Formats: sequence, structure tokens, C-alpha cells
Amino acid sequence: MSQPLGRAKGPGPTPHSFLFVSPDDEQKLKVGEFITYPVSLGGGQEEPVLSRITERRPVRLYPNAFSGDPQVDPNRIAAMVGYQGRSSELFEITAEVIGYYDRQLKDFVNPRVPPRVGTPITLAENTYLSDVLSRCKPDDTGAATIGWLLSRPQGEVPVAIDVGAVVSTHLAIIASTGAGKSYTASVLIEEMMRANNRAAILVIDPHGEYNTLAELPNAKQLCRDGYRPEARIYAPGDVKIRVGTLERGDLRYLLPSVTDRMDYMLGRAYRQAQNLSRQRFNSEDRWTRAELLGVLDRIDEDAEDNFDKGTIQALRWRLESTIKTGKGQIFDDQEQTSLEDLFRPGRCSVMQLNQIDSREQQVIVAALLRRVFTARMRTKNGEVGPDSDYYLPYPVFILIEEAHNYAPAGVDIVTTGILKKILAEGRKFGVGVGLISQRPGKLDSDVLSQCNTQILLRIVNPIDQARVRESVESVGRDLLAELPSLTKGQAIISGAAVNTPMLCQIRPRYTRHGGAEEDAPRAWVTYADSALARQREQDSALLQPTGRRNRLYKS
Amino acid sequence: MGVSLGKIVKSNSHTDYICQVYGRNEFDPAPGVENYALGTFVRIELEGGKAGALVGLIYDTVLLNPDFGRLGPRLSPETELAMFTPDYLNERAVLVGITAIGRVKADGDVFQGVPLLAANSDAQVIQMTDDEIRAFHAYDGALHLDYLPLLAHMDHPLALHLSLIVLRKLGRLLPECATELAVLSDDLLWRTQIGPLGGMQ
Repeated sequence: MSQPLGRAKGPGPTPHSFLFVSPDDEQKLKVGEFITYPVSLGGGQEEPVLSRITERRPVRLYPNAFSGDPQVDPNRIAAMVGYQGRSSELFEITAEVIGYYDRQLKDFVNPRVPPRVGTPITLAENTYLSDVLSRCKPDDTGAATIGWLLSRPQGEVPVAIDVGAVVSTHLAIIASTGAGKSYTASVLIEEMMRANNRAAILVIDPHGEYNTLAELPNAKQLCRDGYRPEARIYAPGDVKIRVGTLERGDLRYLLPSVTDRMDYMLGRAYRQAQNLSRQRFNSEDRWTRAELLGVLDRIDEDAEDNFDKGTIQALRWRLESTIKTGKGQIFDDQEQTSLEDLFRPGRCSVMQLNQIDSREQQVIVAALLRRVFTARMRTKNGEVGPDSDYYLPYPVFILIEEAHNYAPAGVDIVTTGILKKILAEGRKFGVGVGLISQRPGKLDSDVLSQCNTQILLRIVNPIDQARVRESVESVGRDLLAELPSLTKGQAIISGAAVNTPMLCQIRPRYTRHGGAEEDAPRAWVTYADSALARQREQDSALLQPTGRRNRLYKS
Repeated sequence: MGVSLGKIVKSNSHTDYICQVYGRNEFDPAPGVENYALGTFVRIELEGGKAGALVGLIYDTVLLNPDFGRLGPRLSPETELAMFTPDYLNERAVLVGITAIGRVKADGDVFQGVPLLAANSDAQVIQMTDDEIRAFHAYDGALHLDYLPLLAHMDHPLALHLSLIVLRKLGRLLPECATELAVLSDDLLWRTQIGPLGGMQ
């Protein structure tokens, strides 16, 4: 049992908080730090009650004048006027009660009364914190040890988040640009790819910054007993979406300037193409681009007035110029990337969407999410077997970068509906989503609030902070106040995957980081140096005649 | 047995007594200045000691001197004056203020706080010994300072300093309680030394 650092003073400003006083000589009682006090549970049983420091307020300070000369230690002034007390600083510290850990419930139980006045307050011990903060132990199946408790030395209190909870109740990684979003996501992926998890992960990567995950198989820390994680990087042209899997809304979203009349004609053609597909393949998603255009042509032939003909021709032109199929194109009439290729336990697939138009990106993601959700639903309900396109016999996790592009606030786009559906129902079918965004203010608040585990890194923008505050209920205001002051790699972790919100230091990556920004000054200097060197080379070449010239000169 | 310091000559209230310190030739041995220093624990005998004694603390010292302000020339030197008018010389006195902080009964029982009984005029004032001070504070297996709030709230400029002197003295006499006493001392030290200079408290 460690020495008490303070003594309880009384109830705090909120029903579940209390005040204690401490000189905190060793500066251990930081905001966010965990402390304990004993509580009797009857029958001689005593348990430590875990609490978190939310505020520290000095109650004893030297007069300002004592610090008037930076060269003079105010303690010397105090000693000079006769104060030789034990501590010139005294703090009134507010702590929020989390509760004592009930091992049967596997959760904290709030004792509902503050500690008695004078109750000793101790710093929570590392072993105790390791035991109760995380839902699982490092190396357990389902544990992702992404770092350690920020207030403790490196590795003393590992933070292991519950992968099961992340997959079933979804995740949000929110941070300003440069705060370490993709780094944190990559650490989480590494942990999920460990031998004890062997997750089936797909990363939607609009910026092509996750390509270094290709090094996953070489990370020795992740290999065990013959297991070696796989990584597949799908370059922008590598992923194929079968045209037939596109919905009418997808087509409408992709086509530029579609009028209501064109939309009506598109609807007619789409339904007829689906009917044809159903007749031929007993499935309505096998129609081709050519078939859709053929249906449009037949509607054109049957059209009685020139106005309709003009509309159909305009729609046809839009479809031909926008939906391109074949080699090198994302959309294809027959081919589509197999779900079993994209998702396999122990495999991390990265779908790079850079160089692709943003609307196309959204349609690709929507089509893929729909397919994955349908596949999991049908497989789980026993409707399809191993020979089906929709056979996906294990849970999957999809990590979506720049999520605000797929579920923007205030407007419904092609991806919004399916994302909300997965967030609401994915738990039943084993489809987990991780949303990564640097602009939570631009992210749909319903979508954000349905992500039950949050990893929050530095957020400076007040609008983004406000959105996080209103959407993330599990994090206290004291921790949210830390958001702008977090440094790179420091994160607030809260929600379903941990037992209580905490400040965490994300561990170093095993694979190289690919999301770092370009070092512009270094690039400029390097370029200028090499240009200068080339120039010098050219100049010196003129000044030093070759031997042949010398010979010519002689002759 | 402690040194006899003097007699109660006046009281300002139930707990505030004035004691005239024995002068030269008034008591043998005559008390020295160190015996009636500020913060000295004293016993004020109740009915000659039959009803026990009040326990008090010397909180102030006042010098009486009728000669003060008489700046005119004297016809006789002071040594000769002493021979002919000894009463006149006795008008010079040292008075000490004593605040009653408890009582020790005749059977040795201790009570701290405002005593119910009051001392009479001419009651003997005796300096308490270290053992008596220990017995007054350490009983029932614990250190008691029930009277400290009375001291802290005395309407006197030296009240906090008096408390500090008491705590330091007790820290020396009861080293086993030094840690607890240091907590109180530290607070008083801050309030007496740093607070008046503008420190936050």
C-alpha cells in the first residue's frame, strides 16, 4: 500500500465528486491521474474506490512580490521573514468517483457516498490500475494493447482496449491534422493483427497513407507459433466494383446535373435492367452497363415525343461518360473483388482511393459497405453458402479514413444510409466500423454518437471540440478540456472498450509511419543543393578542356 | 513544584485575568523574567488549591511605573527614597495577562476549554512544570488541544503567535506527537508570517 498523498476534505461540486487537500510535494496529483481511497463493504471487506482527479486549485501561494526578482528563490524570501514551514504550496483537489471494481460484474460500482473527512487518499497502484482499467489483459484474445497510461512511466500500466467491443459497437478516432490519427489507427491495426486477435480488417484509405502496413508480415512482434499477419494493398485500380451492385441512388449520385425527368427515366431503366438480371441469373445485381444502356435505347424507341427522347439521350450520354467499365476501371460488368479476398482473418487489406474522384470514392464505399453488410446478414441467416458472392463467414472490421466525407453533417449522401445502418445493426451481424476524422464538426452527429469507443487525440478547433462534447457522452468535461493541450501520440480513450475514460500514450509503431507530412524546407534545400551542384559541374566542365580539345589546340 | 509567579489582582472577564508578578523581596525565590515569558503555562489556585486550579497561559505583559512622565528634578536620590518611602517603590509592578484555558481538578482530572469556575483575587499563580504540562495535554491515550480555538479567536494581536509558541513548546515536550503538531504549526506559521504580507491563505 502506498503512502497517502492527501486527506479527504469533503463533498465536491457534483454528487459524485469529493475534495481532498494535499501539498503534493512530488507533483504526482495531475489532472486525469487516478487515486484511490478505501471503502468498507461490510463483513470486514475493504475495497479501494477508484477516482480520477478533475481539478487542482492552490489554496496557499506566496505573495506575488516574493517572485518579483527571477534571480531570487521565493522560498528564500519566505525563510527570511520567518516561514520555515513544510510546504509553501497546498492544493485543494477535486476528484470524480469512478467506483470500486466488482469482479463479478466486471465493472465499477459507485459507492454513492463521498469518502469521510480525513480518509487517506493514495495514488492508485500500477498493478491495481493494470487490473481494472482495461477490460482485458495484454495478450488475451481480444486485447489490443495500444499504449500505456499517460500519467505513469512507460509500460507500467498498459492500456488494452477490448477488440470485441470495438468491432461490435464501433470506434471513432478523432483528432486535428498532425495529431497522430493514422499513427494511432495503425497501432490499433497492428494490435488487431496480432496472433491473439487475427482480425479481418479493411482500411478505406483516401490519401494512400496506409501503404506501410504492407510491412505487417515482417513485424516480428506480431508473429507467433507460425502465424504471420498478411497485408494487401489495393491500389486505386485494383478494386473492382460490379456495376450491377450499384443502386439507383448511386448512379444518380455519380451522374452530373440529373433532372427529375432524367431521374424518372433512370428509375425505369434501372428496374428493367434488374428484372432482366433476375430472369437470367436469379439475382438482380448482375446487370451490365451495356444492358442498362440497351434498356434505355428501347425506352428511347418507344418514346412518343421528342422531349422524352432528348431526356433519354442526355441521360445516356451522362451514363456513358461517367460509368466506365473494363480494364483499368473501378466499375466492371462481371468482375468484382471477392469479399473473401478483401476480408480474411489475419489479413489487413488497404483500399487506396487516392486519385479517384470524391463522388466515385463515396459510391465505391457505399457499394462495398452494402455488400459486406448484406453478405454478413445472409451468411449469418444461413441464406448463402461458400459458393456465393455474399458468403462471409466471420466478423469484419472496416476502418474509414476521412469519415466526414462519407457521413457529412447536415446532408445525406450515398454512404450515409448504409453507414447508419451498420452502426445501428452491425453488432448483430459482426460488421464493425472505425471512423477516423480530423473534422468531427463536419461529421454527422448521429454517426459519431453511435461509435461507442472513442480515441480522441489533440483537437484545437472550438467547433470540433463542441461536436465531440455533444456526441461523446462517456468522457467527462475535465478530460475534454485536455483536448487542445494533448501532444502528439497522447489520446483520451473512452467508451465501451475500456472500463473508464483515461489518458493514454500511444505506443510506438512496429511498422513505419506513412502518414507523415512532407518536410518542405528540407526538400527545397536538397533540391537547391543538387541544382547548385549540377550548375557547378557544368561551369567547371567549361573551364577544364578535355584532352581531345588539347590535342586540337596543339594541332 | 513550579515557581510562584504572583497573585491575581484583577480580571477583565471570566477567562481573562491579570496577575501581578512578585517583585524583589516580595517572594523567595523571586520569579525571573524567563518564568513569566509569553506563552508560559500557569496554574491559578482555586481556594488555595483545595478545588484544584485553573490552567492559564500568559498572553501579555504590562509594566506599571508611576514615574513614567515625571520629567522634573528629584530632591532625593532613589536609594535614599527607598529607605524612607518603601510604599512608593512598590507602585512599580509587572503585570501579566493570563487567559484561562482549562482546569485541573484536585484529584488530577483534566478539563480543557472554558472553565466553569473562576479564580479569586489574590489567587496564587504558579508556573507549571513540564510534567504538569504533559499531563494537562496527554490523557486518555491522546494529545488534546481543545483550547486552541479559544486562543486563535482571542481578540489580541498576539493571539496567533501565542498559539504558535504553545505548539512549538508542546512539540518539544511531546515528541511522539510532533508530526500532528507540525501540521498545525505550519498553518499558523503561514498565517503569521506569510499571510500578513499578502500570501494566499
